[in-house]
Amino acid sequence: MSDAPVRKGFNQTRRQFMATTAGAAGLGAIGLPRLSKAAPKRGGTLRFGTRVDSTALDPHRNLVYYISTPLAATTQGLLDLDLDMNIVPGVAEEWDISDDLMVYTFRLRKGVEYHNGRDVDAESVKWNFERILDPKTSHAFTRASLEDVDEIIVDDKHTLRIRLKEPSAVFAANVVYYPCNLMAPDSVDQVDTHPIGCGPFKFVSWNRYAKTELVRFENYFETDEHGNQLPYLDAIEGYPKREDQVRLTSLRTGELDLIDNMAFNDVRPFRESYGEAFDIFEAPHIGSGHLNINVKSGPFAMDAPDGKLLRHAIAHAIDREAIHHAVFEELGYPLNGYYSEASPWHMPGIRNVKEYDPEKSRSILRKLNMENMPIAVVARQSFQYMSQTAELVHAMLLDAGFNATNEVFDNPVLRQKYAKDDWGIDSTATSYRFEPDGWYSRWILSSAAENQLRLGYKNEQVDKLILEARQTLDKEKRIELYTEVESLVNEDAALIYTHAVPMTSAGTNRLKGYRPAFAGAFSTAGGGIRTAYFEEA
Amino acid sequence: MLVYVLNRILQLIPVVFVLSVLVFGFVHALPGDVIDSLAGDEAAEDPEVRAALEKEFGLDQPIYVQYAVWAGKVLQGDFGKSLVTRRPVSVELLERIPATVYLAVVGIGLSMPIAVPLGTIAAIRRNTPTDYAAQISSLIGISIPEFWFAILCIMLFSLHLGWLPSSGYVSPLDDLGLSLTYLVLPALAIGFRQAAYTTRLTRSSMLDEVHKEYVDTARSLGLPERKIIYKYTLRNALIPTVTISGLQLANLLGGTVVLESIFSWPGIGLTIYQAIQLRDFPVIQAGVLVLGVMVVTINLLVDILYRFLNPRVGLS
Repeated sequence: MSDAPVRKGFNQTRRQFMATTAGAAGLGAIGLPRLSKAAPKRGGTLRFGTRVDSTALDPHRNLVYYISTPLAATTQGLLDLDLDMNIVPGVAEEWDISDDLMVYTFRLRKGVEYHNGRDVDAESVKWNFERILDPKTSHAFTRASLEDVDEIIVDDKHTLRIRLKEPSAVFAANVVYYPCNLMAPDSVDQVDTHPIGCGPFKFVSWNRYAKTELVRFENYFETDEHGNQLPYLDAIEGYPKREDQVRLTSLRTGELDLIDNMAFNDVRPFRESYGEAFDIFEAPHIGSGHLNINVKSGPFAMDAPDGKLLRHAIAHAIDREAIHHAVFEELGYPLNGYYSEASPWHMPGIRNVKEYDPEKSRSILRKLNMENMPIAVVARQSFQYMSQTAELVHAMLLDAGFNATNEVFDNPVLRQKYAKDDWGIDSTATSYRFEPDGWYSRWILSSAAENQLRLGYKNEQVDKLILEARQTLDKEKRIELYTEVESLVNEDAALIYTHAVPMTSAGTNRLKGYRPAFAGAFSTAGGGIRTAYFEEA
Repeated sequence: MLVYVLNRILQLIPVVFVLSVLVFGFVHALPGDVIDSLAGDEAAEDPEVRAALEKEFGLDQPIYVQYAVWAGKVLQGDFGKSLVTRRPVSVELLERIPATVYLAVVGIGLSMPIAVPLGTIAAIRRNTPTDYAAQISSLIGISIPEFWFAILCIMLFSLHLGWLPSSGYVSPLDDLGLSLTYLVLPALAIGFRQAAYTTRLTRSSMLDEVHKEYVDTARSLGLPERKIIYKYTLRNALIPTVTISGLQLANLLGGTVVLESIFSWPGIGLTIYQAIQLRDFPVIQAGVLVLGVMVVTINLLVDILYRFLNPRVGLS
C-alpha cells in the first residue's frame, strides 16, 4: 500500500462541508444568494423547470441529464465533487493511490444501498464499471473515462482496487458521479423503463417532454454538518420547458419553484424587477467557450506555409470583451485559457494571448496578399451562445478583412462537416472539465479523438507537457505545466478561448439551501438539490 | 354508402404504401446519422464501434432490405424501438398522439361554434356594422401570428390575472378538471386563428349561395327566410367550410411545434422534431407515417360528411 496521503471520508467531509459552506457564503458576495441560517425543514415537493429533458433512462448510455435534468438525482458516483470542485468522498469514503500511480484502492462506505435495497458493494461497482467499458452498453464519453483501466479487483465486500494501464495521478476524477454513476446490477432489465440507482431521490415515473417524478430515498447515506440525513425535500417534479421565457414565466406565476438555464439577457432585468421574490443563482463557470480553427487542412493548417500567421490574424480579430458584453451580458469572464478566475485551476501566468487588434489582422492579410480570404464560421444549433458568438466573430472577421460566412447547423450535419474538413472556424464550448486532464487529454493532446476529429492540432511539446501533468500529483506543479501548455496553444492559435460559460438559475425565495456549483444542480456534495429545502415545508 | 366507404379505404392502401416509401427514403436521406448521436464523438470514429451499432440496428443492410424489414414489422403493428430511448416506438407515440389530437380537436371545436354563426350572420347582414365587425375581427385573427397571440394570452390570463397555468399538460384521464385548465390557453390560441379563417370562409360561401337561383325560387314560394338560410343555404355553404376545417385539423395534428414549445405541450410535432435532431429514424418514420394515415383518414371522413350535409353530392 502506498505512503501517499489517504483521501479520507466523512470526518473530513464534514470539515470540508464547513469549509465549502464558508466558501459559498463568500460566493454570495459575487452573486450567489447568501445561505440561510434557518434550520432546514423537511418536506415539500420541488417543481423544477429545465431546458432539456432526459434523452433516455439508462444512466450509462446517456449523458446530458447528469448536469441538469431531475433524473440525475437518482444516481450517485464512487466519488463526488464539492462546491469548490474538489473531489470528495461519495459511495467510497476514502481512497489511496500507489506510489507508481498504477493502482487506486477505494474503500466503500458501509450500509449504502441501491433503491431496491441491494448493498452498494465492491462487486456491484465492478459490474457497473464493466458495463461502462462495454461499447454495447455505454456512451463513448463515459467509456473514455475508464479507458485507462486494466483490471478491476474486488478485495472484499467494501474494497475495490483498480489497476491502470499507465500511471495516472488523475484517475480519481474519472469515477465521480458524472459520468461514472452507479445502478443496481439486478435492475438491468428495467433500466430503460424504471432505473434503480443509489442517489438521493428514487425514480417514480418519466413522461418524456412532460414530467418526471422522483421521491426522496429514505436510506440515502449523505448527511449535513449536524448529522441530519439528506436530502430534505420529499420529492422532485421535473418539467421540461424548452423555451427560456416559458420557464421564467412559469416561475413568476408560481407554477415552478426553480428553473435552470435562465437566458443571460434575462438575468439583470429579472433581478431588478423581481429580486425580492426570487433568487438568482449564478455559477460563474461551468464550461468554456472557444473557437476551433480547422488546422487539419487548408490555408490555416499547422503545416501550411502561412498557416500560423493567418491564425494570428484571426486571433487578433477577436474581441473577447465584445463577446462578454453582447453574448454573455457581462456574466462570467472572458478567457485567456480554459479556466477562468472562478476556477481553482485558473492560470494567471498564461502568455502569448493575442490582443484584439483588427488593424494588425488587416496588415497580416495585406502582407500575405490574402485580403478577402474566405473563411466559414460554423456553430451548432443547440446552444444559443454558440451561434451568437459565431455571429459576432463573423462580423469581427469581416471587419478584419476576411471574407467570412456564417452558418448554423444541427449536430449531425456539423459532424459531417468536421469529417469532410468543410469548415473554417467552429464556435463551440465544452463543459464539465473540472479536472484539467479531462480537457487537455481529450481535446488538446494530438492523439485525442476530439482533436483528431475536429482540430487536427499537433504540437509535440504540448503533448509532452500534458502527459507529464497527468503523472504529477502536486497541484501547483500541474498548474505550471498547464500554464505552459496554454501559452503554447495561444501562440499556435489553433484554438482561441473566448468566454467562460456561466450557469444561471432562478428560484422562489422560499427555496433555501440550494447551492449549485460547477457540477450542476445535482452532482454537488453539500450543495445543489441535496441541501435544498423550503422555508415553509 | 358502405361500398363507397370500402372503396375509399381500399384506395388508401396504395396511398399509404407510397407514403411509407417516401417517408423511409427521405428519413434515410437526411444528412448525418444516428450512429454519431448514439456513439458519441469519440466512438463514432471507431470503425468497430460503428460497425457493431450498425449491425445492432440493422443499418448495415441495403436500404431496400431495411425498408422491407421495417414495412413487414409495421404491418404486424410493430414500429420497432426508438434508437435513443430503446422503448417501443408505439409507446413513444401513444404517449404523444392523444395530447396532439386532444389539443387540435378542441382548438377546432372551439372555433366552429363561433365562426360558423359569425360568418353566416355577416353574410346575411352584408355591408352592415355587424358584417364590418366580423370582417375586422377575423382579419385581426388571421393577421396575428399564433405564437404572439399565445404569449398575449399567457401574459393576461396567467401572469396578470392568475386564472390559468401558463404551460404544461395534464392528461384528461388523470384529472379532467385540471387538464382543462391546462388546455384552455393553447386551445384558445389555435381556436382564435382557426375561427378567423372559418368566419371569412363561411361568409364568402354564404354570399355565393344566397345569390343562387334556388334561393330566389324558395323565396318566391314563400318559404320563411330563416328556413331558407339554415335548412338550405347554410348546408350548401358549409361544404367548403368542412373541407377546409378538415384540412386545418390535419395540419394541426403535425404542425403545432411552435405552440407545443410555448405551452410545453408534449405533442407529436415536438416529438418528431426532436427525433429529427437526434436522427432517431424509427420514431421519425412511424410518427410521419401515422400522421399521414391520420390525414388521409380525416379526408375520408370529410368526404363522408359531405353526404350528410348535402345528399345530392354523389358518392360514386
